[in-house]
Amino acid sequence: MTTSSESARPKVVISGVDKSFDTRAGPLEVLTDVNLTVHEGEFVCLLGPSGCGKSTLLNIVGGFERPTSGTVTIEGEAVTAPDKRRVFVFQEYGIFPWASVWDNVALGLGGQPRDKVIETVQYYIDLVGLSGFEKTYPMELSGGMKQRVEVARALAVDPDVIYMDEPFGALDSLTRLQMRAELIKIWKQEQKTILFVTHDVDESVQLADRVVVFSERPGRIKEVVEVGLEHPRDLGSPEYGVAKNRLYELLGVLHTI
Amino acid sequence: MTWPWIAIALALVIWRASRGLGARAQSVLLPTAVGVLIIAVWRLLCLVQNEPIFPTPEETYGGIRELVVDNTLRDYVIASLFRVTWGFFLAALVGIPLGLVVGWSLRAYRALNPIIQGLRPISPIAWIPISILWFGVGDRAAIYLIFLAAFFPIVVGTMAAVRNISLVYVRSARNFGVEGVELFRRVVLPAAMPQIITSLRIALGVAWLVVVAAEMIAVDSGLGYLINDARNMGRRYDLVVAGMLAIGAIGILLDLLIRRLERFDEVRWGYAGR
Ligand SMILES: Nc1ncnc2c1ncn2[C@@H]1O[C@H](COP(=O)(O)OP(=O)(O)OP(=O)(O)O)[C@@H](O)[C@H]1O
Ligand SMILES: [Mg+2]
Repeated sequence: MTTSSESARPKVVISGVDKSFDTRAGPLEVLTDVNLTVHEGEFVCLLGPSGCGKSTLLNIVGGFERPTSGTVTIEGEAVTAPDKRRVFVFQEYGIFPWASVWDNVALGLGGQPRDKVIETVQYYIDLVGLSGFEKTYPMELSGGMKQRVEVARALAVDPDVIYMDEPFGALDSLTRLQMRAELIKIWKQEQKTILFVTHDVDESVQLADRVVVFSERPGRIKEVVEVGLEHPRDLGSPEYGVAKNRLYELLGVLHTI
Repeated sequence: MTWPWIAIALALVIWRASRGLGARAQSVLLPTAVGVLIIAVWRLLCLVQNEPIFPTPEETYGGIRELVVDNTLRDYVIASLFRVTWGFFLAALVGIPLGLVVGWSLRAYRALNPIIQGLRPISPIAWIPISILWFGVGDRAAIYLIFLAAFFPIVVGTMAAVRNISLVYVRSARNFGVEGVELFRRVVLPAAMPQIITSLRIALGVAWLVVVAAEMIAVDSGLGYLINDARNMGRRYDLVVAGMLAIGAIGILLDLLIRRLERFDEVRWGYAGR
C-alpha cells in the first residue's frame, strides 16, 4: 500500500526544526533544519546512526520536548504537549510493571463507560495475541509479549498517529520479524499514521512507505527514500534490493564490508 | 557439664545434614544449628568466669520463665509494641505524603531537602529532654521519640523513590491523558512503592531500636523499662538478658511481618533478582 505524497492529506508537518541541548560542555547541537511532511495513513521510518537525534525529533513531535526553533503542526495545529490522539511506543519498555496486562492496556481509557472499556481492552489484547494473559504482570512476560502489551495500550485509545522509537530493538531477530509482520497487519487494518524510528536498514525497508535518512549528529535529513512496494513484500525482489542499497549508500556503508 | 558438648555435636550434625537440602529447609536448619552452637559456647564460657559477670543460659531460661509465669513479659511486650505501632504509623502517615510531594516538586525539594537533611542526623536520644519537656514523662514522650526515629528514613526513602521514577513511566502516563491526582495515584505512588516499602522496613527496625531507649527514661513499662529496672532493683542480670532476647526475637518477627508487603504483585517487580 504505497501512499503517494500527492493524493493523501498532510498529517504531521515538521518545519525548520532545530534542537540544541545545554550541556556542561556547552550547547550540543542535535538537530538542524529538519523539514518533513508525513501524510495521513503513511508509514514513515526515521533511519540514522546512533546519537543523530532520532529520539529527540520524535520527542519533539510527540510534545515531550520543545524545539529550539521551528514548528511542528498536526492537522494545522501546533504541538505543545503530549496528546492521547498521538501515542508513543517507547524505546525502553513504557508499560507499568505494577499493573496487570489488562490494567496497562486500559491506561488511556479513563472516563469511558465500563462496558465500552471492557470491550476495547479485550479486543486489543486479543488482537496482539495475548488472550489468557489479562491478569499477568509484565514481570512474568517475555520481551516480545511486553512490547505487544505496549502496542495494545497504544491502539486502545484509537490514536491517529503512533510514534514508535525502536520498539523491537530489544527483541531477538525472529520475534522482531514476527512483530513487524503483525505491525503491518494492524497498520493496514486500523489505518494509522506511523512514525517509526530505527537504525536497522532492513527493518526500515521492510516496513516503510518512505525512509527518512539522517546524517550523523547534528542530525539533518540527508534524503527521503521512497520504497514504493506493496505489502506483503518480496524480500528478494530487485526493487527491495535497490532501496536497501540506496540506504546503505546514504549511510556510507555500501560495499565497505 | 556435658550438655554443651552434646549440643555442639548436634549443631555439627544439623550443619552436615543440611547439605544438599532445599533453600527453605536450609534457611530453617542452618540458623538453628548456629543458635544451638552459640548457646553451648555461651554455657562453656560461663564455666571459665571467676566471679559471675554474665548469667548462664540456665539462669536466663529461669528469668524468662519467671517473666512468662507472672505475665510481665506479655504486658511489657504489649506496652512496647503499642508505642512502636503509634510512633511508626504516625511517621508513615506524615512521612509518605511529605516524601511524595518533596520528591515530586522540584521547588519543594529545593526548599525542604536541606532542612530534612539537617534534622536527620540528630539522634532521637538527643530529643529526650525536649520530648519530656513537651509531653511529660509517659507514653506520649516515648511515642514522639519513636515517631522521630521512624520519620526520617520514611521521608528520605520516599523522596528518593519518587525522584528515581523512570521518566518513561511519567511520559507514558501523560501521553495517555493521566494527569494531576490520577497521575499520583496510578503512577507516582505505585512506581515508588517498592522503595517506600524498603524504607518502611528500615524505619520499623529503627523504631524498635529506639523504643527500648525511650523506655529507659520516659516510662514505667515495656521491655526497655524491664532491662533498666532489673539492673537497678537487685542486679537481676538474668532478667536483663531475658529482656534482650525478647527484644531480638520480636525484632525478627516485626521484620518478617513487614517483609510480607514485598510479596504483593504490585511491588514484586521492584525486588527482581532477590
Ligand atoms: N536531555 C538531553 N540533554 C542533553 N543531551 C541530550 C539529551 N537528550 C539527548 N541528548 C543528546 O542528543 C543526541 C541525540 O540523542 P537521541 O537520543 O535523539 O539519539 P538517537 O538518534 O535516538 O540515538 P539512538 O539510535 O542511539 O537511540 C545524543 O548525543 C544525546 O547525548
Ligand atoms: Mg533513540
